[in-house]
Amino acid sequence: MLGRRRKQVIDAVQLALILIAILIMLVPIAWIFMAAFKNHIDVFQLKLFFTPTLENFGTVFEPPFFLGHKLMNSTIVAFVTVVLAIPIATMAAYSFSRFRLTGETAMLVVILATQFVPAVVIILPFFVMFRDIGLLDTRIGLILVNLAIVMPFAIWMIKGFIDGIPLDTEEAAMVDGSSRLQVIRNIVLPMAAPGLLTAGIFCFIIAWNEFLFALILTNKDAVTLPIGLALFKAEEGDLWNLLSAAGIIIMLPMFVLALIIRKYFVQGMTMGAVR
Amino acid sequence: MRDSTLKYLLVLPAIVVVFATAIWPLIESLRLSFTVGRLSRPGSLEQYLGFENYIWAFLYEPAFWNSVWVTAIYTVLTVGLTTVLSLGLALLLAPGGRFRSGVQTLLILPFAMSPALIGVSFRFMFNPEFGLFDAVFGALIPPLADVSWLVDPVLAFAVCVMADVWGWIPFLTLVLIGGLASVPQDTIEAAQVDGASGWRVFRDVTLPQLAPVLAVVVILKSIFSLKTFDQIFMLTNGGPGTATQTLSHYIYFNGMKYGQIGYAASVAWLMVIPMIFLTYAYAKFVFRKE
Amino acid sequence: MAEVILKNLTKRWGEFVAVDGQSLEISDREFLVLLGPSGCGKTTTMRMIAGLEEPTEGEVWIGDRMVNDDLPKDRDVAMVFQNYGLYPHMTTFENIAYPLRVRGIPSSDIEPRVRRAAEQVELTRFLDRRPKALSGGQRQRVALARAIVRTPKVFLMDEPLSNLDAKLRVTMRAELKHLSRELKVTTVYVTHDQIEAMTLADRVAVMKDGVIQQLGSPDEIYNDPANLFVAGFIGSPAMNLITGAIQGGQFVTTGGTQLVPVGGDDRNEVVLGVRADDIRVSEAGKGNIDVPIYAFENTGEATLLTVQWGRQRVIAKGDRYLRKEQDDMIGIALNPEHLYLFDPTSGSRIRT
Repeated sequence: MLGRRRKQVIDAVQLALILIAILIMLVPIAWIFMAAFKNHIDVFQLKLFFTPTLENFGTVFEPPFFLGHKLMNSTIVAFVTVVLAIPIATMAAYSFSRFRLTGETAMLVVILATQFVPAVVIILPFFVMFRDIGLLDTRIGLILVNLAIVMPFAIWMIKGFIDGIPLDTEEAAMVDGSSRLQVIRNIVLPMAAPGLLTAGIFCFIIAWNEFLFALILTNKDAVTLPIGLALFKAEEGDLWNLLSAAGIIIMLPMFVLALIIRKYFVQGMTMGAVR
Repeated sequence: MRDSTLKYLLVLPAIVVVFATAIWPLIESLRLSFTVGRLSRPGSLEQYLGFENYIWAFLYEPAFWNSVWVTAIYTVLTVGLTTVLSLGLALLLAPGGRFRSGVQTLLILPFAMSPALIGVSFRFMFNPEFGLFDAVFGALIPPLADVSWLVDPVLAFAVCVMADVWGWIPFLTLVLIGGLASVPQDTIEAAQVDGASGWRVFRDVTLPQLAPVLAVVVILKSIFSLKTFDQIFMLTNGGPGTATQTLSHYIYFNGMKYGQIGYAASVAWLMVIPMIFLTYAYAKFVFRKE
Repeated sequence: MAEVILKNLTKRWGEFVAVDGQSLEISDREFLVLLGPSGCGKTTTMRMIAGLEEPTEGEVWIGDRMVNDDLPKDRDVAMVFQNYGLYPHMTTFENIAYPLRVRGIPSSDIEPRVRRAAEQVELTRFLDRRPKALSGGQRQRVALARAIVRTPKVFLMDEPLSNLDAKLRVTMRAELKHLSRELKVTTVYVTHDQIEAMTLADRVAVMKDGVIQQLGSPDEIYNDPANLFVAGFIGSPAMNLITGAIQGGQFVTTGGTQLVPVGGDDRNEVVLGVRADDIRVSEAGKGNIDVPIYAFENTGEATLLTVQWGRQRVIAKGDRYLRKEQDDMIGIALNPEHLYLFDPTSGSRIRT
């Protein structure tokens, strides 16, 4: 048997390790938060105590930075991507979940696999094509390629949710007199609604944080927030106070969204390999 | 409408989207990889030269091999470190309770942070004059007090690895906590009653049952490590020199900065090959349960 | 109101045969129970009647219509599912109203009909609750009310009581019986619980491996089993099956004990079936044979004596006040009126 003393020591060590882990995890985020409220002199010093200012959050929206425009682009691109992806993914997910299709496994594997294709491979042909048809530096172009990364997640995630709806309920509705489409509308969609919302938020985060596509396809009109970070450079170097303020504008909404769907984060990212 | 028709109509739009946004570009990339493919010369995208791009990469491009090595070492280090550290943290947090559950919730935050932003913050944290981590490392390990992290090739690489590990530990920890929760409690209790020590219980009972989840973690992390781009781009942009130039970065540079789309596509396809194996392995785990 | 006729119904998944060329006529207003162990094809048979499963071969008739090509919604059946299949996002009222609403019945008609159905299953107080806020028994009632809210041609019930605890199951069973005799609608009821089958059914179809073994009234299947499977499956404790031979009209156990007159021709191998309550227990020396007690169990309402009879064990039901100890010797006597003989290879009944 463990002595009570030894158990206390072990508990204390565990607690200490957890605290160190939290510290390492949160300090960079906290440091950025602090920097965002420092003026352009304090930010270049290792100061823990300073007079906070909101000035940076104004400056980033002013010329020459115009962060508002990027914020608008990011919001529109991520939102439209999700609005397009979720209905299409839901239809497919329902079919994959409830029916046996010829080549079903093959289709699912291909959909899974596209998620793992390096983005640089996909973007090269798109760059050439968009250059030819004039979609470079447009939101539409960005939305189209974002579908490539969002769709597989959405299909797999929603399929997981629909798999969890008992078949009994749907069959009851069919015997009660519903057609298949009525079953989907009256039973499946209301029951899957929280799942659809979760998948939507998840895809929104992915599209919002997307970097490589936006880097390559945009340069002025359709630039999104993550690319906008590169703006905050002056001749003397990075403008860290402004970078930090922009960083907060990028990450804060995502923190809120991620906390809303925290229960499903693991399942979504691993496409159901870990439940 | 009969189900037999409906079920295919329902998947059709998704298949079209996946085909157009993923399959087509993959095939088109393969085609481009066999062309001269210069962005500045319009006709060159249809000018075929067989395997010359591939041969060029293998025989005449030390930079290609450099990025292969950078990517390989980067992948091994980040996969190893994140897996081990995540497992440790997961074991610490798995028992639950209000405090530990609270910490679990906080773990989501770093993962909701875009990799590009993580790259920026680490550049900030390791600034030799006012970087917090620079100061902390300098205080803890005196020989590191006066170094310029992002100027030294080895240290810059280390910073990249640290940023990656920092960004991924929280998520993989959550995955492993889920895995630990799915290990049946009664098997652990049986081992305890049978007289096994804490460590033996972990090694003989927990770890074997956790193996599938660990495998998923390793495969998933390997895939994302191999693809790494955003963070490196914002943190070191491949530098100093090419010390931190991963394959993705190398492809981006050749394709976009130098306009050698054909050559970039051939290297990109070389990168697809290990992905196929990893995806195959991953798919086996996903379908195992069905 | 209609009869249900299955003609040569077969369901295969690849090599696996779930239902094997089954024919069955269920008459109008009959309460028919499909009884059998899990995997015997009883649920599959019911699902084919509902239209949730497509038959590989054969026909399903409801009334005078072949319904093979009809969707479930067009078959005019109502079904109670094992897990109830309640709509979690709807209240009790909305759940019960759904079959009416989806058929386009005007709301003014829906309200009274839902109320009446709810009354019949004593749910009136819970109409505003969602399934999550109901107990198991209440959920069961919602499922039932949803079935009886309209008058379908056929009721289908798939193990409706199996998710309830033992006590509630007995209550619900009686309510179900009362309701079914009141509504007088053709009903097909699937269960693996023989008590449910015995108590509820007009006729029971005992199934095994996709084939009906015996079709008859509860009386018939209990007192006149058609084969070894039915004999062993029906009854609790299960019927004793003793191997032996027939010599000169007497049953002789494998051990050589001459036991009881059964009549018939001589046979080398035969199985004698006798129910525990048809074995009389007496003091040693007063029965057909003396045997030691292997285990003595007191259930309160009776006693069960497992006795070691050569290499076989046999269960006899004793008097409620009988008290014995393990290894005591007792006498047992078999009631010659209620003995069943079976062929051990084919399993079929030997009638003498």
